Amino acid sequence: MLQFVDYIGSTVLDTCSQFGRLGLFAYETLITLFTTKLKIKKIFYQMSYIGIGSVSIVFLVGIAIGAVLALQSYIGLERFGSTQFIGPIVFLSMAREFGPVFSALMVIGRAGSAMTAELGSMRISEQIDALQTLCINPMQYLVVPRVLASTLILPFLSIFCTFFGVMAGYVTAVYVLNINSEVYMETIRANAELSDIINGLIKSLFFGFLFSIIATYKGYFTRGGAKGLGISTTQSVVFANVTIILADYVLTSLMFAK
Amino acid sequence: MIKLVNLFKSFGTKCITNGLNLEVNDGEFLAILGRSGEGKSVLLKQVIGLIQPDSGSVIIDGEDVTKLTGKKRQQFFHKCGYVFQFAALLDSLNVLENVGINLLEDGKSLEEIKDVVIERLRSVGLAPDVLDKYPDELSGGMKKRVGLARTLMLSPKILIYDEPTTGLDPITVRLIHELIQKTHIEQKLTSIVISHDIEIFKYATHVAMLNEGKIVYKGPTKDIWDCKDPFIYQFIRGLPEGPISQIGFVKEN
Repeated sequence: MLQFVDYIGSTVLDTCSQFGRLGLFAYETLITLFTTKLKIKKIFYQMSYIGIGSVSIVFLVGIAIGAVLALQSYIGLERFGSTQFIGPIVFLSMAREFGPVFSALMVIGRAGSAMTAELGSMRISEQIDALQTLCINPMQYLVVPRVLASTLILPFLSIFCTFFGVMAGYVTAVYVLNINSEVYMETIRANAELSDIINGLIKSLFFGFLFSIIATYKGYFTRGGAKGLGISTTQSVVFANVTIILADYVLTSLMFAK
Repeated sequence: MIKLVNLFKSFGTKCITNGLNLEVNDGEFLAILGRSGEGKSVLLKQVIGLIQPDSGSVIIDGEDVTKLTGKKRQQFFHKCGYVFQFAALLDSLNVLENVGINLLEDGKSLEEIKDVVIERLRSVGLAPDVLDKYPDELSGGMKKRVGLARTLMLSPKILIYDEPTTGLDPITVRLIHELIQKTHIEQKLTSIVISHDIEIFKYATHVAMLNEGKIVYKGPTKDIWDCKDPFIYQFIRGLPEGPISQIGFVKEN
């Protein structure tokens, strides 16, 4: 019994200290971002790696979700004789929810894990220590470009995901479900608001910042050789995914309250 | 002058540095010897501030390194260079970019830094044809030379080497030792080298022995052979019998 209490206590303490260190790391990143010179070349390189490299999977995921949304919506709406609303449902779901969330989840799997592995490998092989001894600020050199690039590029990927989703919904609705194409587009135009897109973009900005902070934090403080690197990368992906889902709920609640 | 005062460092329950005191005068070439796992690298990392000691101070030219923060800490590395055990070259950069990384970060172009880097590589015995090679295309000895060239770009007054000859063949070991000595003399440095290898005695002016987290001997290299301390006597002669074999190793029979 005592052992169980000990285990629970140490786990809670460890989790709290992890959150504390993550918070301090995020704080230090922001301080470095606003007090040191930006490495523009590195930021663009990271934007290209994270953004352009992820377009293909975001494209595929957007298409699949858009098509599924159209099919599922049809099943429900047909019962009420309201199948003309498939367009707005697909658009609103993609713009406000699935575009930002799924593009973030895909980028975490592809670029977030790579960030952790790269920085973790640099930590283990003393490359981060070497940067310090060469009078180079590792936060400025390694962390800030990745965090800034992720935060800036994710809204664009979210727009791509939403666009491809709506297009896939259109193809499914028109060519599979025989919905009138003008009805699909017209109902979107009539029901969509600019705030729907803006809310999705705000979410994406937050998601980009959150996942990149987690990924770089886990990599930056990797310990324990190859095994430690594996653990860090796994934890980074799992923690970032869960954080995005939880943050999505919080942000949706805040935006819903407005 | 480098002065380590009452330095303590533990990892969990394991005490690595246990009230260590050491003084290194300007211009000295000090070799620090000790058994594997004795905490030699941890000691040097405390000297340059990569690891913070639990207590005690590291005073270099009158300034306590353990209290340096921010820009002052960054500037300190202009004074004190560190050559890593496995060179710690950045994998994603070629030799030119690795050696000239500081100049590149200051906004200079690759063309502008090329001549300076070539000159620095020549000083460590490397030809310009390695410029475009990446770290995984270099041999162990070449990596260490590139690591040294990179550190020398900052023109430090103090140079610390973490086991510079680990994993190298005897000929390369000798060449690296000669290079360290040549650099020490030409650049008028204070050099500290940690090693298991008593070959370093041929080059160092002074020797210090680390045992159980403390410096148990420090003096001119030539005097250590007359030292009667059983630990030092056994270590420098590489004898199987003595106090060391009873610490941490199980004897057969």
